[in-house]
Amino acid sequence: MMLPSDALRLSLHNILLHKVRSILTSLGIIFGVGSVIAMLAVSEGAKRAALQQIEAMGIDKIIIYSQKPPPSGADSQTSRSIQYAESYGLTNIDLVNLQKMDNIKRVTVVRNVRKNVLKGLDRLDVKLVAVTPDFLEDSGSEIESGRWLTPADMKNKQPVCVIGTEARRKLFALGQTDVVGSLLRIDTESYKIVGVLRNDMGTQYPELGTPGNMVFIPYTLSEALFGSFTISKETAVPVVTQIDYDVFIVSVDKLEYIDNTANRVTQYFNTSHSKVKDWDIIIPLDLLKQREATQNIFTIVMSSIAGISLIVGGIGIMNIMLASVYERRKEIGTRRALGAQKGDILFQFLIETVFLTSMGGILGILLGVGISKIITHYANMPTYYSPVSIIAALLISSFVGVLFGTYPAWKAAQQNPIDVLRSN
Amino acid sequence: MSENAEKIVRLEHIFKTYYAGGNPVPVLKDVNLSVGRGEFLGILGTSGSGKSTMLNILGMLDVPTSGLYQLEEVQVDLLTDAELATIRNRKIGFIFQGFNLFPHLTIEQNVEIPMLYGRTDRKTRRERAHELIERVGLGHRFGHRPNQLSGGECQRVAIARALSNYPAFLLADEPTGNLDEKTGLEIMKLFHELNDSGVTIIMVTHNPDLDEHFDQIVHLRDGRITFQEYRKK
Repeated sequence: MMLPSDALRLSLHNILLHKVRSILTSLGIIFGVGSVIAMLAVSEGAKRAALQQIEAMGIDKIIIYSQKPPPSGADSQTSRSIQYAESYGLTNIDLVNLQKMDNIKRVTVVRNVRKNVLKGLDRLDVKLVAVTPDFLEDSGSEIESGRWLTPADMKNKQPVCVIGTEARRKLFALGQTDVVGSLLRIDTESYKIVGVLRNDMGTQYPELGTPGNMVFIPYTLSEALFGSFTISKETAVPVVTQIDYDVFIVSVDKLEYIDNTANRVTQYFNTSHSKVKDWDIIIPLDLLKQREATQNIFTIVMSSIAGISLIVGGIGIMNIMLASVYERRKEIGTRRALGAQKGDILFQFLIETVFLTSMGGILGILLGVGISKIITHYANMPTYYSPVSIIAALLISSFVGVLFGTYPAWKAAQQNPIDVLRSN
Repeated sequence: MSENAEKIVRLEHIFKTYYAGGNPVPVLKDVNLSVGRGEFLGILGTSGSGKSTMLNILGMLDVPTSGLYQLEEVQVDLLTDAELATIRNRKIGFIFQGFNLFPHLTIEQNVEIPMLYGRTDRKTRRERAHELIERVGLGHRFGHRPNQLSGGECQRVAIARALSNYPAFLLADEPTGNLDEKTGLEIMKLFHELNDSGVTIIMVTHNPDLDEHFDQIVHLRDGRITFQEYRKK
């Protein structure tokens, strides 16, 4: 038998001898691997974007939020000319009860103050919210400049506010970054901006959106100024709404019991808010798991398509290799006469096939990466190619070479050298 | 050289029968032959005389139906396919009518091929290939490929290749068949030079003109040896 290094060199030489044919032969594999890599990159990109959004809410968190209950016929609000306060959502009692539950570390509250933030006379599309100091950490945000609301602000009900980066963009001229110290007018009050908050994680809260688009004031201040009532004068008849809290961000002590905790919380709300469904719950960890389960199904489907395209590619290569064995009978016979064993011939052809499919795999990976770059660039979709998928593509394309190269290689080894000498 | 020299090849009562559609077709019938070390044997026969089968058996590409084939005291008809390949590689230097060089390799690389299958290391292969190419008179052709050479030069490369593993004998199948007369004579001259330096050669041909070159001559006709003669040098 030949030295392995010589066998490798020989096969590589034969492949490079017919460059165009080699590439054409591998085309099936190239496109198969390329499309799989591209599709995986797109789906992985979409998955990551979604997961990041879910994770940004915090996987050790339970989000509970107020939602306007559906109007029930008899109790229809429109039939009354003078409204009494429409009251729904999370209450102070809920907060107290939640805080008493096991495995709940703390509950951070957010209240949508429902006041307009003005720039001149224009109403800006930003949310004015009242929060407690824990919000910064629990929402995964950071302070970009200035400072965050402090316990002292809470205690003294200071008229200060922190604005999100998006809110800053809407409030101030482009490029103006030194906004700390400026005054912000909300309704009739003026607030001193003490800091700018940045949220890079893409956190989104139901009904409220991202923290970047919020203006934060101390919860105590909001309570003192506005109470828990809001009066909307947008309709002919003013609507008075009473909501204590809009969002609870519940942090748990032990992540492994989060499902249990969420169940208890759900149970509590089902009982205490049994009349109308004026609340809802989000467990980011559950969303994450669901998302992953969906992803697994998707991955199975993708793998099947990949498998079929690689089988098609492999059959193409097998065909060409069989033709090549026939064409190279003279070479095979001469090699056998000169002392090549059947194993030498077998390995020569097998290695050639594996080289072809592996090179096809490499070119396919490059093609796939190229395609996903194009998709990212033109379709503006996030793509991500995991090292695992690239290594798997390489291994699988080599394996396809072994699978579909064995028969032609065996056929080559079975060639009878006498036939060659006779044809002389 | 004479019939008294040490015998390296011994064929005794060789029969070879092919089966065509279930009917036995005897090709070789009781062939007895021995070749001494350093001998130049010519096997002459017309088409259909059984000389190709004779060549295949001598070259261990085929096995006899019955009979004994001994090469340097080894009874080769008992060996496995892999062992035969090893013996072909080490003991037999094939030379073909059509040269059978690999067109995409340089002449040195062509000469290296039997050594490749003999697991000779790269450096030794290179040196041996160079040495042999010099020896067959192609020192000025290093780095060339077969399509850049004349037929006679190609056959010289093939002879160099056949010699690369220090074989027990060269087995030449019509080596001058594809060459013009002058070139053919030059090749025969090279064979003589090699033979004079001790290389054993078995040549199979249909060309009676080559008769004068051989130490031992065997005529094959219809699967039998009809004439056998030793000549003193």
